[in-house]
Amino acid sequence: MKITLQTKSGQFEYDCAPGETILSAGLRHGITLPYECATGTCGTCRCRVMQGDALMGWQEAPGAARLKREKGDCLMCQTVVSSDALIRVASQNVLGAFPRGHVPAHCNGAIANCRKLTHDVMQFDVMIDQPMSFDAGQFVTLAVAGVTGPRAYSMVNFQQATDRLTFVVKRSAGGAFSDWLFDTDVAGATLKVFGPLGAATFYPDEAKNIICIGGGSGIAGMMSIIERACQENYFNDHKGHVFFGVRTLKDCFYMAELSEYVTCAGPNLSVTVALSDEDTGLATHPDFDNLKLDTGFVHEAASRAMTGKFDNMVGYVAGPPPMVDAALRVLIAEGKLPPADIRYDKFS
Amino acid sequence: MSWRRICAADSVALNSLKKFEVDGIPVVVANYGDGFRVFPPICPHMEEPLEESGLIEGKVLTCTKHLWQWNLATCQMEGTETEKLMHFYDVKQEGDDLLAFIKSEHIYEFDEEDEMDDDDFFNS
Ligand SMILES: Cc1cc2nc3c(=O)[nH]c(=O)nc-3n(C[C@H](O)[C@H](O)[C@H](O)COP(=O)(O)OP(=O)(O)OC[C@H]3O[C@@H](n4cnc5c(N)ncnc54)[C@H](O)[C@@H]3O)c2cc1C
Ligand code: FES
Ligand code: FES
Repeated sequence: MKITLQTKSGQFEYDCAPGETILSAGLRHGITLPYECATGTCGTCRCRVMQGDALMGWQEAPGAARLKREKGDCLMCQTVVSSDALIRVASQNVLGAFPRGHVPAHCNGAIANCRKLTHDVMQFDVMIDQPMSFDAGQFVTLAVAGVTGPRAYSMVNFQQATDRLTFVVKRSAGGAFSDWLFDTDVAGATLKVFGPLGAATFYPDEAKNIICIGGGSGIAGMMSIIERACQENYFNDHKGHVFFGVRTLKDCFYMAELSEYVTCAGPNLSVTVALSDEDTGLATHPDFDNLKLDTGFVHEAASRAMTGKFDNMVGYVAGPPPMVDAALRVLIAEGKLPPADIRYDKFS
Repeated sequence: MSWRRICAADSVALNSLKKFEVDGIPVVVANYGDGFRVFPPICPHMEEPLEESGLIEGKVLTCTKHLWQWNLATCQMEGTETEKLMHFYDVKQEGDDLLAFIKSEHIYEFDEEDEMDDDDFFNS
């Protein structure tokens, strides 16, 4: 099927495979369609279908709440077409080619190396049948038979042209993908992968100091960023400040990995773990004395530690939406960071 | 006369936003230090309620939903993300009162004569 796309920055045409969303089809042709979550929650990918037969799969998607359905508005990440279609996107920033980064693609994957990190956090690899290159901080969508709709997960590892993507997932009570992952034997299970996606990316050539504020599994993409930075000795001449929020000491994960990063990077990298529900009275992690401990919400810990240190900084934020909003406020009001230097993913 | 009293000027703290309803018309008042701005209560991007999503820092209003920004001193767009102007009602202070000139409620294009329906829109 052919999609004709009208935007404020010009008209584009691209092919859409049967069953493929108009968002995925556009992105894999290198068209910079607007999106954030790629999974129906944020509403950023809205478009208007002017002609053609289009069906929005997930009618109750939270991102669809403010759509004008009677006018043909729908979410591109949830919509498939059954004929050629003419659609409009009211953005001035749609380009026909990615200015930077990797054009996403579909591939197949199989789960391997599942490892439970805490009672409700699981790490696993997805071995993919076509090598993928991605930027540190990006995510893919994973779709598995029996769970309706794809889910977005950020890569923890950082490698080029790799056949292995590593993820860390925090169990969400009653969540369909969570239940499947935690309650069944998923080793070897096959899934459909689409990516890489997302703009919360780290590019060493920007030559900025970095601050990462992550809540729970929001640390995922930041692990990839720190991994890349360490691989390239970035902390030799740039500072890195990582703030990782969890509830209690027993909810901590990646402590050994983070400690190892601090050892490799030297004094320019600091990692603070903020415990929201436990006051240990300790200044450092009981098992890793190069990881600082703080009590309270992670954005508060960042605010306390960062006063006067926001020089030449790019900020990364990921985690549950209220945590992300609070951290964005710290970066804007206290850090005075401009939007171009703030990159975030809301795990809604 | 469409000058309407919105509130007492001292009821909106420095660098904060507060929502009011004047003759059935919802508005948000922003105190940015050098003065006040009065505008419709929703973000021109995706209708986020600005009294919750808005943040004022250094005379710049940011909608923290997607980081669109407007300079409250100049009323112009700021930052790299912003694609639409904010609608500002004229405002003046009389004694302790803050007044805004509101002929009728301003509705952004996405709500009424929709820009997406305008055939010239995408060519302009
Ligand atoms: C950019 C991004 C990156 C993320 N990275 C991570 C990460 O690294 N680690 C992590 O743990 N979490 C991450 N998340 C959150 C993750 O995508 C899931 O929302 C979370 O794991 C809960 O999934 P669930 O299936 O258990 O819960 P559920 O409540 O069953 O589903 C949650 C999400 O699945 C989608 N969904 C639900 N029902 C449908 C349906 N009928 N049709 C279509 N879609 C549906 C929606 O997006 C919904 O928000 C990320 C989210 C985003 C947006
Ligand atoms: S990108 Fe489609 S709703 Fe978020
Ligand atoms: S809704 Fe305000 S910036 Fe998007």
